[in-house]
Amino acid sequence: MSLLELKAVRRAFGGIVAADGIDFSLAAGERRCLIGPNGAGKSTFFKLIMGLIKPDSGSIHLDGSDISRDEPFRRVQRGVSMKYQTTRIFPTLTVAQNMFIASPGGKLSEVAAWGLDRLELARNAARPAGELSYGQQHWLEMCMALGNAPRVVLMDEPTAGMTPQESQRTAQFIKELGDRGIAAIVIEHDMGFVRGLEAPTTVLHQGRVFRHGSIAEIERDPDIQRIYLGDAHG
Amino acid sequence: MSSYNSLAAPGTSASPRSFLERTGLDGQLTVFGGRWYWSLFVLVFGAAATFPIYGSVFTALNFTSFLINVPLALGLALLWGYCGVLSFGQVAFFGIGGYAYGVLAINWGLGAATVGAAVCALGLTALAAAAFGYFLFYGRVSAWIIPVLTLVLTLMLETFLGQTAGLEWRIGDAQLGGFNGMTNIPSITVGPFSFDGFSLPLFYLVLALVALTLAGLRMLANSHFGHVSMAIQEDQERAELLGYDIRRYQLTIFVIAGLLAGLSGILYASWGNFIQPTSVGLLASTFPVLWVAVSGRRSLTSVAIGTVALSALSDTLAVYSGELAFVVMGAILLFGMMAAPNGMVITLLRGIARLSRARK
Amino acid sequence: MTSDLFNLGYQFLVNISFLMFAAMGLTIVLGMLNIINLAHGEFIMMGAYTATIAVHNGVPFVLAVMLATFAVGIFGAVIERLVIRRFYGNKLNALVATFGLSLIISQGTLLLFGPFLQGIKMPLGGFKVGDYSYATYLLVIAGLAFVVLGALWFLFYRTRLGVDMRATMQNPDMARALGVNTSRIYMFSFALGAALAGLTGALYAPTTTIVPLFGSSFIAPAFITVVIGGGANPLIGALASSSLLALVQTPLSSEFSAFAGRIGLMFAALLMMRFLPDGLSHYIQAAFLNRRRARAEKSR
Repeated sequence: MSLLELKAVRRAFGGIVAADGIDFSLAAGERRCLIGPNGAGKSTFFKLIMGLIKPDSGSIHLDGSDISRDEPFRRVQRGVSMKYQTTRIFPTLTVAQNMFIASPGGKLSEVAAWGLDRLELARNAARPAGELSYGQQHWLEMCMALGNAPRVVLMDEPTAGMTPQESQRTAQFIKELGDRGIAAIVIEHDMGFVRGLEAPTTVLHQGRVFRHGSIAEIERDPDIQRIYLGDAHG
Repeated sequence: MSSYNSLAAPGTSASPRSFLERTGLDGQLTVFGGRWYWSLFVLVFGAAATFPIYGSVFTALNFTSFLINVPLALGLALLWGYCGVLSFGQVAFFGIGGYAYGVLAINWGLGAATVGAAVCALGLTALAAAAFGYFLFYGRVSAWIIPVLTLVLTLMLETFLGQTAGLEWRIGDAQLGGFNGMTNIPSITVGPFSFDGFSLPLFYLVLALVALTLAGLRMLANSHFGHVSMAIQEDQERAELLGYDIRRYQLTIFVIAGLLAGLSGILYASWGNFIQPTSVGLLASTFPVLWVAVSGRRSLTSVAIGTVALSALSDTLAVYSGELAFVVMGAILLFGMMAAPNGMVITLLRGIARLSRARK
Repeated sequence: MTSDLFNLGYQFLVNISFLMFAAMGLTIVLGMLNIINLAHGEFIMMGAYTATIAVHNGVPFVLAVMLATFAVGIFGAVIERLVIRRFYGNKLNALVATFGLSLIISQGTLLLFGPFLQGIKMPLGGFKVGDYSYATYLLVIAGLAFVVLGALWFLFYRTRLGVDMRATMQNPDMARALGVNTSRIYMFSFALGAALAGLTGALYAPTTTIVPLFGSSFIAPAFITVVIGGGANPLIGALASSSLLALVQTPLSSEFSAFAGRIGLMFAALLMMRFLPDGLSHYIQAAFLNRRRARAEKSR
């Protein structure tokens, strides 16, 4: 049984159809990349899963139960977590305070503690989060997303603005998350990073799942190139 | 935050946290703290407690009315400074507390019954705050509508109370009294002690309550609950996506603030033996906002100090001219917001703290 | 029967025009500058005082009203320059600061002019319908409310200045990039809001006692009307919410007491603000846009 499942999810904003009957399925511990040209509906996809937007039709299931009507905080409590595209940590508070807030009841979860250690944020505990480097802020936010010991983490362009070494480290980190049984869906534009993740890839286009396969297959596919570059008739 | 020992790099021991930090009396979210702070705290409250001995009892009694405003102000500071909710409705709960106590105390009589009346009045205020808070927060209205909604609540209450002049407006033996308000409210009495405006027991009671409230709110602010509330203020959506039902947090703090406002109202009724609609009115609703804004809403200590100072100032000015008092208050508010948008008292105290640190 | 209906109709017009006048200045300031001006009531009071003093000094009423409007408008421009512009982007601080301003103005007026001024008589006399007598002047005010609303509509939708104002309201950065002097637009907007408040005070001066807290009976209804109307379209919002609120208030005040009408209005307001948080104008506009889109889709 899949961990996360979307069935025929549809959502329109006025005249724009951001999600046009999306069917999607993710197994426990599975890593997945989500790519697609701008406006394909990737961020909407995440917002639908998190409950920031409600679908017009269709349903979303986590571990078999229907979460389509749940408030966002309910979904987080049930085990889905999101890392924003732009960092939304609390910059005036210290790293330790940020993690304190991200830990339900104030108890640091094991995986979050592991994450802080692995990404070497633990020694910055007393620094205001706003003083960290850009990459470290992203990592802090990833650890915060681990605060509630989630089953699946959604990451929206986690390496935007990172150095190549930081990107590599992030890819490694996400793989190790998978080893610990935590599934991840990663939206990315950086093809090098996507290749480094070695994960099945889903391509979104115009609010629909366009293609699904390994990154090697995706890169060879001429249709994919066309939707990214636009064809003469499009 | 004992779970943070695990944040220390492997091999080093996390420094033991002081008693003050473990209880939450000191912490990251209270602005001032440490040994100096608590020494001064004890000193100031000690000096105040012994004041009737070396100073004038009359001044102490006068001072009581200023101190009574502090719980009301601290409730708003918690709500506004730690949760980002600006409520013009705190005086509504002040009024509910005062009127409820008045009704119950007049009907139940003197002696221990007054204590029962006070407790029940607090309970009623909490219920009212919970009901209105539910209405307010479970609709997820945008943040800036809340001041208007709470203002409307206050006005509704004032309008209603203002027209209760007729003799038919009574609950039991208690006449609501319209614009003139409810009079002859018995003070809280416990044994030989009468907590009224003419003798010292109320002074000591209010002093103790202010100290306890300040300490208690500090502990709340530094707790996990306080941290989450602050997070809600900084970035509401982010806090929600960390798995917190923000409505529950906002409602809880709203009820706490309402309780503190009600407490002030009950103490006021006991002090003056009356309560009137102007305590709930348009002008009155802005006083707590004035005290908290001018003092600095992020610091509970600043608000406590500022409330007493501003109340004393307006009381002194009112001796010369009531209007002048308001004009000066208005000017303080206006220029305070322009010059020190974070609050005048907190800016001053921070400056002092910085100077003393620089000298070391 | 018809005289009762006329009575209700008259009350409705009186109530709706009161709300419209109270709200118009405030909604422009909120819609354009995105700040809550708690000194609005005091601007209204200043209009009333200016007109009253002018009339007592021999100025004809109509001229006095125009003078009051203009004077308060100028005052508003000055206040915008000195005070308001420091608070753009900070609604809550603006609220607190304007409250301080309102205290200074109202209590200062009390200090300077005493607890009340000698009033001015309501012009135009009255007429009778059935058993009831009515004041003609209040009907004139009602008519003027719609005239002013129409003038504002004309300003916003038919003049160059109005285009600039709407552009600044929707996207100030873009407007600036296109050469609009947004700073001057802001000053003009606040001055316009103040002028409308002054007009309101001057017009209503003959209807009641001239006291320093003259504005206090306007301010709550003003806020309620503005919040319910919403910022999506200030003019439509003001009109829609005034109508709805007057619709609630009129039968209540007519059947029970003026005071029941007020409480009913506030209660209805609480419900509307809570359940229609985006404001009436938002929903009206959305419905209007949807219909237009549906029509466009059909014609494709």
